[in-house]
Amino acid sequence: MSFQILLNVFLAFIWMFLKNEFNGSTFIIGYILGLGIMFVFRHFFNDRFYLKRVNAVVLLLLIFARELILSNISVLMAVLKPSLDMRPGIFAYETVLTKDWEITILSNLITLTPGTLVVEVSEDNRILYIHAMDIADKDEAVDSIKNTFEKAIMEVSK
Amino acid sequence: MTAIVEILSALFILMGVFLFLVSAFGIIRLPDVYTRNHAASKSSTLGIMFILIGTLLYFYYKHSHFDFRVVLAIIFIFMTSPVAGHLIMRSAYHTGVKMWDRSVQDDLKKTR
Amino acid sequence: MFDLMLKIALLGVSLSMIGFLYRLIKGPSVPDRVIALDAMGINLIAIVALACIVMDTSAYLEAILLLGILSFIGTVAFSKFLEKGR
Repeated sequence: MSFQILLNVFLAFIWMFLKNEFNGSTFIIGYILGLGIMFVFRHFFNDRFYLKRVNAVVLLLLIFARELILSNISVLMAVLKPSLDMRPGIFAYETVLTKDWEITILSNLITLTPGTLVVEVSEDNRILYIHAMDIADKDEAVDSIKNTFEKAIMEVSK
Repeated sequence: MTAIVEILSALFILMGVFLFLVSAFGIIRLPDVYTRNHAASKSSTLGIMFILIGTLLYFYYKHSHFDFRVVLAIIFIFMTSPVAGHLIMRSAYHTGVKMWDRSVQDDLKKTR
Repeated sequence: MFDLMLKIALLGVSLSMIGFLYRLIKGPSVPDRVIALDAMGINLIAIVALACIVMDTSAYLEAILLLGILSFIGTVAFSKFLEKGR
């Protein structure tokens, strides 16, 4: 991935030399043109085209923003409800992610999910203990963690 | 055009203030540390983000300069506040603060 | 109109500050107080941002960054202290 970015910067510099103009806008135009050339030749690289990874990161950020807003609505409902009838509890969740930074991002995302907050990560980094505001929502939360968050994080780290 | 941006900025700030009030109300009302932390770590984060976006828009239409320090602050708060919430939760559990008596399940207790 | 809105916003933020202060003084356990202190730090950032708009100057926007960093570090230090450094 770093090799591809380096190659792209190199192509942008070649464009600057060809145009004989050395300023920021020429560099940006050269970068975009180099991106186009590299997109055409993407099957000749050993690993994935790096724009795909950038796309996955942007998607992850969008998921972050959406979860933040949804979780605020759910907290609002729970706080403003006239009677406190929720049943909080801590449940264990087994994750398939292995690297440290992946688990960090996953626990940040879980903290922003409606009604859940990470309490503890086990010693071998495999089980997350999650406190839920209402244990009845547990299945829904596990489902969204498994199908949305872990998939989006794996898309970045693949 | 500036009128629209002004109304948008006012709307963002009022929404942020409303979220702050909800978070304060939740911190007073909810029964134990764990549920209070839900209110504090989620509502305050979004509230401060809304207020800072409103400030950004205000300085953009009033003085027409885009302040990158505010963008930096938004990104920093967005990254750190879930971590802070998780750390408080962990230290509360390890110092043995009791959960609310109507809590139904505690998987972490079995492993210790 | 915008000025009135700013006054209302400052009033609301101050009211929520009183709420956090109540939990800071009363809070039955220490983590309760840490939560209230963290929320008060974030609340202070909001007050600085609103004061910047009231005074119509961007000079205090650095204080926002500093307050954010200090309140985060304070929370981390408190929770490490509660766990006795583990």
